[in-house]
Amino acid sequence: MGELGVEHFLFLSAALFIIGMMGVLTRRNLLIIFMCVELMINAVNLSLVAFGWELDHLGGQGFAIFTIAVAAAEAAVGLAIILALSRRQKTMDVDEIRSLRD
Amino acid sequence: MILDLQTPDFGIALPQVIVFGLAIALVLLDAFLDKAKHFAWLTGLSLGGYAAAMVALVGQDGENKSTFSGMFVADGLTVFFSLIILSAAVLSVMVAASYIERLEGRMPIGEFYVLLAFSVLGALLTTSAGDLIMVFVGIELSSLATYVLTAFAKRRLSSVEGALKYFLLGIFASAILVYGMAWIYGSSGTTNLDGISRHITSQIGGEDFREPSLLLGLLLLVVGLGFKMAAVPFHMWTPDAYDGAPTPVTAFMSVVPKAAAFAATVRVLVQALGPLRDDWLNLIAVLALITMAFGNIVAISQRNVKRMLAYSSIAHTGYMLVGLAAYQGGQTGFGTGAAETGDQGIPSLLYYMLAYTFMNIGAFAVVAWLQHRGAGMTLDDFSGLATTNPLAAAAMTVFMVSLMGVPPLLGFYAKYYVILAAIDADLLWLALSVVVLSAVSAFFYLRVVAVMYFNEPDVQPRATTTPLLNIGIAAMVVANIVLGLFSADLTDLAERWSDPVDVEAAVADGR
Repeated sequence: MGELGVEHFLFLSAALFIIGMMGVLTRRNLLIIFMCVELMINAVNLSLVAFGWELDHLGGQGFAIFTIAVAAAEAAVGLAIILALSRRQKTMDVDEIRSLRD
Repeated sequence: MILDLQTPDFGIALPQVIVFGLAIALVLLDAFLDKAKHFAWLTGLSLGGYAAAMVALVGQDGENKSTFSGMFVADGLTVFFSLIILSAAVLSVMVAASYIERLEGRMPIGEFYVLLAFSVLGALLTTSAGDLIMVFVGIELSSLATYVLTAFAKRRLSSVEGALKYFLLGIFASAILVYGMAWIYGSSGTTNLDGISRHITSQIGGEDFREPSLLLGLLLLVVGLGFKMAAVPFHMWTPDAYDGAPTPVTAFMSVVPKAAAFAATVRVLVQALGPLRDDWLNLIAVLALITMAFGNIVAISQRNVKRMLAYSSIAHTGYMLVGLAAYQGGQTGFGTGAAETGDQGIPSLLYYMLAYTFMNIGAFAVVAWLQHRGAGMTLDDFSGLATTNPLAAAAMTVFMVSLMGVPPLLGFYAKYYVILAAIDADLLWLALSVVVLSAVSAFFYLRVVAVMYFNEPDVQPRATTTPLLNIGIAAMVVANIVLGLFSADLTDLAERWSDPVDVEAAVADGR
């Protein structure tokens, strides 16, 4: 076991990002898709902090804080939209939400 | 590191500060003002605020400075994009006021204006970003407010559904975008756009040059921004979101978030990653071609006018990408001045975006005008409009013909400059495809005109008055006819997009 380097964090971050992306592309439940996107954004935060650590530069950490704030705002808006939709329609399956079609 | 605090220069950020003040004032007035006064006061305040910001833009023009430690840049690009965004904001308020007040079960107008102002503010901040963080925060502020606006007719299922699709794909795109930014930051060691450009220029070809990770970042950025600007193959949300949203919101979101996405693209690809332009130019050219082709061809089969306009706006994204693909400025990115490099690409993109604002909001405004009179939004609802309402039919004809790109209307000049830029950049195949696909687009644009003039009216439209909307449509008709004559002034303004910027000493020294 060598020393913990930036590449370990980047690999972990990339793995989390890809897991999240796969989740978005394969799962059909709205809330799970939403959580997968949150996972992707948190994977990015890990990358940002790891890069900031490697470069000895505070910019990455600052960027991560902004990303967290944006993700929180996204959660507020997203849950509100999902709530408004669940009042009209009783399903959480994205394949069944299709009143708008060509 | 020595902590060096400087007072930011708020003066050069005046238009953005005014819009921010407007948003705050709207929040407070919405909460404390008598409900009966909302419509008149808040509409007036919104129009006045955006107009004041436009006046302040004159002061920002030619400043070419950066402040807030390089986070905020006021240069030619900022001024031109802000002009587009603020015009779109004024027109959107005019289109939206009576629609929000009267149709779809009286939506709360104060909240509508607040969200509109924040979306405009986000777009303005994106155009003036000097830093990856600002690009990201600006584009997100603009998008988040627009997601809520899309769901604004919350009693109608299709509105919420459109918002949901827009939201899910929008945040997916944001995650990809910010991952790309993380890689760019990691490989260049700074989030400052000029700093990234300087770093790449100094390292290019050297031993420490992290080209693979920069290219990964570049690819992720293009995908993320492609989603935001609705380029094919990242356009899946567009027709549903445009169809579901209340019509004035569709008019707004077809211009302002798209302008923000293009501003972010120019800032990031040209300003920061200009040294890598050989890597992204071909990518953008291919993206432009498939976007144009897909948008124009799918629009043919649409019976719903709003959906047709959604696909047409995808096609117009393609035309604008042609302008970006024709970029041939120096590899050092900004600060070289367009005149010296002979670049026509970015000015043509800027001019196209301005023209698109007046054509596209106009077309949606006529759809909203019809909805006020009890009609729907399918092609059949337009039948015989020329008999029942010759003026509205004439206005729609102007917008359709302008979107098609027929001289002497504004849309023609816009396409003309894009085609010239493409030929200038040796992209003859791309220039030819613009011409051919414009001919294809004639089919679905002229079908609307034909239905209005040659079919018999089905029903007599409901009598109602919409003064502000009528003024807005009239203004856009005039703009479409007259603005083409002032092309020289507009392109002069657009060509100053890359004037050198005075960077604060502290930022220039640091990394």
